[in-house]
Amino acid sequence: MNCDIYFTGVGGQGILTIGEVLAETAVSMGIPSNFYPSKGMAQRGGFVKAQLRLGREHVGPNIPPRGADIVVSMEVSESLKALPLIKEGGEFVLLGNVWAPTAVALGKAPYPALEQVKEQIHLAGARLIYIDPAQLPLYQDETVRANLFVLGVLVHLSALKHMFQPSDVERVIRARFSREVESNLFAFRCGLEYSVEEAA
Amino acid sequence: MKKLITGNEAVAYGALRAGVKVACGYPGTPSTGCLASLLLMDLKDTYVEWSVNEKVAVEIAAGVAWAGHRALCTMKMSGVNVAYDSLISVAYSGCDGGMVIYVADDPGANAGMCEQDTRGFAIMSDMPMLEPKSVAEAYWLTQFAFELSEQIKGPVFLRSVTAIADSQAEVEIEEPAPVSQKPPLLVRDIARYTKAGSVIAMTQHRQLIERLELAEKIIAQAGINQLRLAKEAGLGIIACGVAAAYLEEGFEIAQAYGFRPETASILEIKASHPFPSKEVSQLLDRCPTVLVLEELEAYIEKSVYVMAQKLGYRGRIVGKLDGTLSRIGEYGVKQVVQGISAALKLDLPETLFNAGQEGLKLAAARPITVCAGCPHRGTYMAINQAIKRLKLKKNEVMVTGDIGCTILGMNPPFDTVWNEISMGASVSLAQGYVHAGVQTPVIATIGDSTFFHGGIPGLINAVQHQVNMTLIIMDNRWTAMTGMQVNPGTPCYDGLKGYQQVDIASIVPALGVNHFVIVDPFKLEETSTAIQNALVMPGVKVILARQECAIQAQRRGEKEGVIKITPENCNKCKLCIIVTGCPALSLGSDAIQIDPELCYGCGMCVQTCNKEALHKELAA
Ligand SMILES: Cc1ncc(C[n+]2csc(CCOP(=O)(O)OP(=O)(O)O)c2C)c(N)n1
Ligand code: SF4
Ligand code: SF4
Repeated sequence: MNCDIYFTGVGGQGILTIGEVLAETAVSMGIPSNFYPSKGMAQRGGFVKAQLRLGREHVGPNIPPRGADIVVSMEVSESLKALPLIKEGGEFVLLGNVWAPTAVALGKAPYPALEQVKEQIHLAGARLIYIDPAQLPLYQDETVRANLFVLGVLVHLSALKHMFQPSDVERVIRARFSREVESNLFAFRCGLEYSVEEAA
Repeated sequence: MKKLITGNEAVAYGALRAGVKVACGYPGTPSTGCLASLLLMDLKDTYVEWSVNEKVAVEIAAGVAWAGHRALCTMKMSGVNVAYDSLISVAYSGCDGGMVIYVADDPGANAGMCEQDTRGFAIMSDMPMLEPKSVAEAYWLTQFAFELSEQIKGPVFLRSVTAIADSQAEVEIEEPAPVSQKPPLLVRDIARYTKAGSVIAMTQHRQLIERLELAEKIIAQAGINQLRLAKEAGLGIIACGVAAAYLEEGFEIAQAYGFRPETASILEIKASHPFPSKEVSQLLDRCPTVLVLEELEAYIEKSVYVMAQKLGYRGRIVGKLDGTLSRIGEYGVKQVVQGISAALKLDLPETLFNAGQEGLKLAAARPITVCAGCPHRGTYMAINQAIKRLKLKKNEVMVTGDIGCTILGMNPPFDTVWNEISMGASVSLAQGYVHAGVQTPVIATIGDSTFFHGGIPGLINAVQHQVNMTLIIMDNRWTAMTGMQVNPGTPCYDGLKGYQQVDIASIVPALGVNHFVIVDPFKLEETSTAIQNALVMPGVKVILARQECAIQAQRRGEKEGVIKITPENCNKCKLCIIVTGCPALSLGSDAIQIDPELCYGCGMCVQTCNKEALHKELAA
């Protein structure tokens, strides 16, 4: 089975970590993978994208237009940049965070409404799995790392569930994070319990 | 051992497997990760350094190779422009130890520079060039590059592109080879190592061409370029470098529209220079139509036309020159399918690769701006304030820009910087504006690493010719934009060792600059007054705005201060956001809000607020 995942968001959200954990999980299971992050510059808050290609032995780093089985977006406006990539019938995981550029915050530039973005995802023929950032759980009174929660949702609700068991991913999380293992695992596990009703 | 590594790391591991003795280079996206990974390894027998610029790096590598040892030299494509003067000369002389120039091109301009195709330099310098199509290939081709270099006795290019340099994939890595400890060669041979005299130079030119011919034979013998001829006289496909990685997938798609992959003959090019004439002629012999897939320039394709003419080929060549494919941007599955479709006249639905364009237009523009707490913010604000106080308008005062985070002053809210050419160019470009007769003050801005790299000659020129201009060196102590490398001016912070710092503050006066001031860009009044004073003085004035990159300081756990908000005083005028554009600031329901994680406590917002709503307390 092949699976191509396209990630979008802004720098500082930790979206690349999701891709790295999945790439490591794939490798630990003998599934060929190519992970291609585009970090841009050193600054935070810029556009970040990444592409994970699982399952093919020989594969180019870029997913073709309309070729992504799954899109993972952690920012409302940046989701739109994945529209040319998502497959008809693909899955679109969207965490509804808004990182407004300064011009938007000052009311000098437009920013798309969530409803508009959802409509565009629908028009592209994708299945939306929406995550309301307000629903991110707390761990010891602090909101958990959104990226690990999203990772949990992915492994639980998207086509990735046919490829990975939660335990495969947990092993990588344990090995990867020397600090904050517990809170990261907690976030991941909460994501695993995110229910389809909420996702509707 | 199997390991998940990037393409850049694959080159590093490949070089270690080849027993590389010296690795040097200058940072540049997307090549940086190669040398950066070697530096992290703390190697015992391999010397690794970030050099001051690419030309210096190539010259160091040449010294190593002339002394009979193996050297790796890394850079981005722009670096080859800087290094080329030396590189062509070294190519003429040849070398004894293996010398590999690793260059990473950036089709698609992900890092925002020219989409330069460095294969052109291989052609110009008659140097062989190897081009991996994947991370795994980068590993073994690096090793082959060293072998090839020693066999032909000349330097060899290894070229990758962003998509490979930054990709992570699993590679089987073997133990590094022991580094040779043989005594260095000291060969005095002026016929080989100088160019003085036409006989010497022309003999070297002849030998250079002979080396390239030898390279073609060695590459063919090693079977580097892979030719798979089909039984049928079907479509011939030539795919160069990363383009070959998309064939399989493209075939699957094209199959649905009538293409039969088993009828296609394929030449995968992993050594793009010298031109693989033997393999191409076999392909032309078999195939009535040939498709050439290569990113950027039509170098291979043009040579295919020449070969076709020589052989009296009567078939059709599909690629860029017939208008099917573009010279711009990355190639992928889409170009494979479009090429096949044009070659075989398949009927592709228009929407096959085209969707979502309407939605894209709705996306918010996200201009990059400097980080929260960036010292450059203070400098831009001070320049703007100085211009205003001189009763000038921003569009009357030329501020030339340079490479690095310093260029971000081009964007709102500052709109300070006007232009950018290449490393160091801001200093000389400014002089051109002065000579052209600009009467208002002319300012040049430059980062510390860029000043060392290429800014110093321009400054000497300005001093010699007594040009009326102000140079502002924005010294954040690091080569920041490329991900924090040390440069000669970087102080030996905790843990940094093995070099001596070279202080810009002692270089500038030594160059004959009479008016030289050091300021702290976090002090707005001090900095803008210094700039204002300089702008009205004649001659060359240099201001060194010195304050460490906020990202680096915070990595060591340091903060400049803590900002306290007095909500009663805040009338939500948003002035602080408008002037600083700091990403840590946002508008709350009753007052401005500061994200404590992002905020570095630089105090620039405090200095813009005129309602006493913000106060800076020194960090504990
Ligand atoms: C010839 C060349 N080499 C390398 C680069 C890559 N590069 C882009 S920005 C940059 C860093 C500049 O550092 P500095 O001048 O200190 O400015 P900072 O980013 O720290 O503000 C480098 C090396 C380039 N653009 N051109
Ligand atoms: S990385 Fe450092 S120098 Fe570059 S914008 Fe951020 S704070 Fe400024
Ligand atoms: S002090 Fe103000 S300008 Fe500086 S980082 Fe904090 S919020 Fe931004």
